[in-house]
Amino acid sequence: MSIATEVAQEFDAGVVAREQVSLWRDGWRRLRRNRLALAATIFLAFLALVCVVTFFWTPYPPSVFVGNPYAGPSLAHPFGLDEYGRDMLSRMMVGAQISMAVGLGCAVIAVVVGVSLGLLAGYLRGWVDSVISTAINIFYSFPTILMALILYIVIGPSIINIMVAISLTVWMDMARLVRGQTLSIREREYVEAARASGARTGRIMLGHVLPNSLGPIIVQATYIIPSAILTEAFLSFLGVGIPPPTPDWGNILGTDGLPAIRFAPHILLPTAILLSVTLLAFNFLGDGLRDAFDPRQKR
Amino acid sequence: MLTRGTLIYIAKRVVLLAFTVFLVSSVVFFAVHSLPGNALISARLHGAALQQQLHQFGLDRPVLVQYWSFISNAVRGNFGVSYVIQGLPITPLVIRELSVSCELGGAALIITVGLGVSVGVIAAVRHNTWVDYILTSLAVLGYTVPSFVIATLFYLVFGVWLATLTNGGFSYPLTWTGTYGTLAELSVPAFAIGLFTSGQVARITRAAMLDVLQQDYVRTARAKGVREWAVIIRHALRNALVPVVSILGPLIATIITGVVVIENIFSIPGLGKEFIESILNHDYNITVAVFTLLAALIGVANLGVDLVYAAVDPRIRY
Repeated sequence: MSIATEVAQEFDAGVVAREQVSLWRDGWRRLRRNRLALAATIFLAFLALVCVVTFFWTPYPPSVFVGNPYAGPSLAHPFGLDEYGRDMLSRMMVGAQISMAVGLGCAVIAVVVGVSLGLLAGYLRGWVDSVISTAINIFYSFPTILMALILYIVIGPSIINIMVAISLTVWMDMARLVRGQTLSIREREYVEAARASGARTGRIMLGHVLPNSLGPIIVQATYIIPSAILTEAFLSFLGVGIPPPTPDWGNILGTDGLPAIRFAPHILLPTAILLSVTLLAFNFLGDGLRDAFDPRQKR
Repeated sequence: MLTRGTLIYIAKRVVLLAFTVFLVSSVVFFAVHSLPGNALISARLHGAALQQQLHQFGLDRPVLVQYWSFISNAVRGNFGVSYVIQGLPITPLVIRELSVSCELGGAALIITVGLGVSVGVIAAVRHNTWVDYILTSLAVLGYTVPSFVIATLFYLVFGVWLATLTNGGFSYPLTWTGTYGTLAELSVPAFAIGLFTSGQVARITRAAMLDVLQQDYVRTARAKGVREWAVIIRHALRNALVPVVSILGPLIATIITGVVVIENIFSIPGLGKEFIESILNHDYNITVAVFTLLAALIGVANLGVDLVYAAVDPRIRY
């Protein structure tokens, strides 16, 4: 339905003065119209539901021998069994939980670190900005995955440590984005008005600058999640991530699937597809959110 | 082309690069030396035998003393010896592995730029037709599906299914003979890396081409009767390449990470395979040497990209 017909209908219904639409409702309405983004949202909602269900129930215990090793898909085990006779469906479910936890956890850490540093650099400028910008450039000059690898081997294998290591390599985009936003917002009239009425620096940053750059921050956070999931899967794939027997998409592919690829591709294929579709969905959602929150930007 | 200003710029960048490499290798040196367990953990030595071995490699000295001896040797190009394959000098080993990785990475870079730019140009020229839609969808798939997933799928399709289907009569070799492999052996791993990055190049090229094709000078060129392919290649593409070159720096970093993982999948004897093995084996000297070389490689590649950037866009002067 186009906006024109919507307005016309509301006019017919007697709603002449349109209610004020908040940024969020406007964004949601635009997002709903984007079919690709909507499909991605539905898929991710389903994945989130699976993660919640996994807390309470998996078809079989994920790290226990339940049948013939390398057995192919059957009714009892829809995705077959791996080299230790563990149920692949259960392992993929737990793997989904870990991947989503790492993705969301890294996004939260990266948002907190990136937004704070970006706000400080953009608002205070001067030497604070030089220090933060230099740090951003140093972190940029290195491939994130190699850096995460070194950080990770130093602080040791655990899911929290993986999140910290990956977060330290993905905060730069966020910081640079927020810094740019802040630099432009701090010159607006309403910020000047707040400053003139005696608001303190912290209040201006958190009460005026931050809320006005929330849209781009959310979009950027959506892009951080897939890159964190990818980095985590990459580390586990190489055998330096989540330690087995805990399943995760990376070690299902690398440790269980790859050695058996010649005779038992069922271990690897569904997880490979699931990982790719999840990354695709987050990217589509990010694109959809970007178009929804920033209507001026045309693709 | 090479004015005095450019030479000064290059000199500055080289100094900065040397400093970065020094910093990176120092950080990695202290990082691996803070690892739990020691360098000989895989040798299963205990008591006096362990102490004797540690002493032989100088690992019982204070870390700062070890660091000084590492740095003073490294500037002379000597990265010490391996702890696991005892007494193996590292420098010739990693230099040879660097050349293998450069071969793979270079092939991937050629695929990235060649495939990405052609797909982007074709999609832009056939804007909003089914050709465009198919190519754009493929590009999206290319840059979201991770390189190690593409690699394992290639492995499955070309190495396993194709061989089974033709009863072993026709299949891509998924082995690696000698140090440098053969062209056929190189093609599958290089494509696995290159597809991921060429998706991004295609997307940028398409957007830039669409923008450039709207410009007045393209219309002028067409109006004065320049043939269509000449308009596209000489007038449009040359200007559309500027944003493409600007993303080459991050792309090269992506290719290098791709090389690390692909070498481990296809058992290619390069830096990436050595890197992971040395971490798992606690072979500190090799880890530090490999990381130092990777840092230098990335720095040189970025410098190269910036120089190409200046060559492509005459507005940029250093």
